[in-house]
Amino acid sequence: MKKIIFLIYVCLFIFNWGKAWSLIEVDITRGNLNPLPLAVSPLSVDQNSREKFKDLLKLDDIGLEISKVVENNLRQSGLFNPLDQKAFLQKPDIAHIKPRFEDWALIKAQALITGEVKIVEEKLRVEFRLWDVLAGKEIMALAFTTVSENWRRVGHIITDKVYQRLTGEKGYFDTRIIYVAEEGLKTSRIKKLAIMDQDGYNTKYLTLGNELVLTPRFNPTNQMVTYLSYFKNLPRVYLLDIETGIQEVVGDFPGMTFAPRFSPNGKKIIMSFAKDGNSDIYTMDLESREVEKITNHPSIDTSPSYSPDGKYICFNSDRSGYQQIYVMRSDGSKVKRISFGNGLYGTPVWSPRGDLIAFTKLHKGKFYIGVMRTDGTGERLLTENYYQEAPSWSPNGRVLIFYRETKSDSAGKGFSAKLWSIDLTGYNERMVKTETDASDPSWSSLLTD
Amino acid sequence: MNLNKIFRNTLLVISASILLSACAVKTTGKMQGDVYTGKDTVEYLASGVPDRVFFATNETVLTTASRETLRKQASWLRKNSKINVVLEGHADERGTREYNLALGERRANAAKDYLMTYGISGNRISVISYGKERPVDSGSNPLAWSKNRRSVTVKAN
Amino acid sequence: MANNIIISSLLHLFLIIITALSLPFLAKKPIDLPPIISIELIQITDKTSIPYAPKAKKIIEEIKKKEKEKLVSEQAPPKKVKKEKPDAIPLPDQQKNIVKKPEEDKQNPEKIDDEIKQVSEFEKEELFDPNNIAALIDKSKEETAEMIKSDNKITQSQRKSVISSGLTLNEEDALKAQIFGCWSIPLGLPYNENLLVRIKLNLKPDGTIINSEILDHARMNKPGQGFYKVLAESALRAIRLCQPLRVPTTGYERWKEIQLNFDAREMLQG
Repeated sequence: MKKIIFLIYVCLFIFNWGKAWSLIEVDITRGNLNPLPLAVSPLSVDQNSREKFKDLLKLDDIGLEISKVVENNLRQSGLFNPLDQKAFLQKPDIAHIKPRFEDWALIKAQALITGEVKIVEEKLRVEFRLWDVLAGKEIMALAFTTVSENWRRVGHIITDKVYQRLTGEKGYFDTRIIYVAEEGLKTSRIKKLAIMDQDGYNTKYLTLGNELVLTPRFNPTNQMVTYLSYFKNLPRVYLLDIETGIQEVVGDFPGMTFAPRFSPNGKKIIMSFAKDGNSDIYTMDLESREVEKITNHPSIDTSPSYSPDGKYICFNSDRSGYQQIYVMRSDGSKVKRISFGNGLYGTPVWSPRGDLIAFTKLHKGKFYIGVMRTDGTGERLLTENYYQEAPSWSPNGRVLIFYRETKSDSAGKGFSAKLWSIDLTGYNERMVKTETDASDPSWSSLLTD
Repeated sequence: MNLNKIFRNTLLVISASILLSACAVKTTGKMQGDVYTGKDTVEYLASGVPDRVFFATNETVLTTASRETLRKQASWLRKNSKINVVLEGHADERGTREYNLALGERRANAAKDYLMTYGISGNRISVISYGKERPVDSGSNPLAWSKNRRSVTVKAN
Repeated sequence: MANNIIISSLLHLFLIIITALSLPFLAKKPIDLPPIISIELIQITDKTSIPYAPKAKKIIEEIKKKEKEKLVSEQAPPKKVKKEKPDAIPLPDQQKNIVKKPEEDKQNPEKIDDEIKQVSEFEKEELFDPNNIAALIDKSKEETAEMIKSDNKITQSQRKSVISSGLTLNEEDALKAQIFGCWSIPLGLPYNENLLVRIKLNLKPDGTIINSEILDHARMNKPGQGFYKVLAESALRAIRLCQPLRVPTTGYERWKEIQLNFDAREMLQG
């Protein structure tokens, strides 16, 4: 007994002795998830340049306009809280040279973006700096030149750089969305392919709406789009070169082809081909025109999507009796079901990071957008609604864009289709502004890297 | 005590069977189960020959009524051997777009197969799926959806 | 009693048989269902049990690692830190980094140029101008100079090891609560990587910071450690934002040096 007590004493002594020499450590395991407050100072413009931009772009203050693009992007991301410009104490030109950090700290800004726009040889030249207000130092400075019509993209590129510097993750702002613009009655919708900047500006329509078009998707270089068109009432997968406007049918299939997507290297198109009531997955090599049958099962196999390394394909099949998600090797071998929760699963899309698969789930009359790991574990439902489907990943794998339809009465009143985006965390759900009703969004990769 | 138990169990079994029978197919006006049986949207290829058949949710199996309709279509097609038809398969709006395209195709093919077993040449029948793109009823309710789950036979020439 | 049970079970059996025979409709269902359920169950367990095991392993490993780290920092902070110093003062490194930057910038415009030409119908050219690099390099010199100064301070103060018995729970909670409020966790961080940032502070009696040092700050400038850098910067911002820290009113000797371990995993996973 005494021995034990002695031992305890010894232990306590050693313990205390060790502690006496150690530094006090405090573990900080929690913080706030509030958006980071930062200030986006309007970019400064000299008088001469200002006049020229006024002529060129019909904008009174291009510096202010670009800063608004940046501000809007950062706010939409949900990770940043751009502060009201009215509260700024320092003028843009002085702030860009040497910010008075106390002034910016006073309005609670933790970071500050300043910049300068000029006309140099008829081109727009932007220089911007990112400052750590609390540390009182510059943490990034970049400059670039472009044609002045690109001024909105300048804002997006600045946002991408700032986003990457402050989050450690690539941005997704200098990107475009291709989608289907919808108009008219629900029973005879007119659908056109449309393309716009990620923030809803610069919308351009690529088809006239004479025939039904569905499910457009970008290739990895954002130059080509593959989509389904009912041209001449023959639903087929088409390929469209955005720059030239040239379209062509993909392959020579004696029946409907649909649900197309590019392979990660852009060399193949993977899609479904329906024949005699059975849909299987096929690929077509765009160079050799070689067609390969990937699945061979008397059930519906559709919505294929490659893993970013091109080694696997996830797809939608009802071979178990109901719509579920399956994964297989890209040659069609080793088919494995991965969705096992209650309800039906559709539209699997492999994340650009490779670790997750996004999907649509239908359960008890509700539609969900969710993600699961590629082995089917860790299912997480991000949002629930009356009707929503077809998620598409932002190029950094952080945000999903999808479309949502509302209920309508028997006259079709109350019906609308809109694009929405949501963060992978399930936070920051937002409607994406479009000129018309919209569906089937597909996110491009970064236009500049 | 034993008698009591048996009595209770019998009661349980009886009540359970009553409950189960309540689950059996409900017929409410224009739907049987969730297959549309009304005539609101139906058009006629010829007198007494309805142009469309309806399906249950997520199903491509032809119902007894559908088979009867298709037999009528088949005999009409036999009489009018110069007419070719397109079978348009449709789905309701409660599914993902791509799967619905496949589902519509399967529905139209179910109808096509049945017509072929009644002697109509496959060459006279083409098939197109519209998935959920062309509903006949814009409503967002079970009745509207039942009208939209259909295969419509349309004259091609 | 035994009789009763036997009679009861016999009657039950009888009842079951009768229901099974007379109500095939009813009987079929219960017979049909279990296999379906069990098949699904097997699949589910197959699925879930595989990833669970490595998960558990990971957690155990993480705990072990943490323990190791703690041991290291508890036993030999002065020596270790001292050793790190010469490499850690990143004079050549940092300058290289900053000199590199313009090169990267130069490369950028070419890339932009190419890609935009491909994409374009919207734009034809985009150039990059690496003019403002000189300013950057100057800045970096200032920065590194400052760093050397602060590093020296730390090494000096480290020699006097303070005898202390840590903060009381209340004191620790007050400090934690304050920093929790100041720390905006960068949400883009991956939660599955080992991102622990340890910062050592020298404090004034009123809780303002004399200087702060990131303990493995060599890692900050290593390539591929972008996330670590982001986390470290966010931690530094939190400390600066919180100044003066909510420190105990007494026992300055105890806490004039303090180490904060920032670990966002718990938050990012949730």
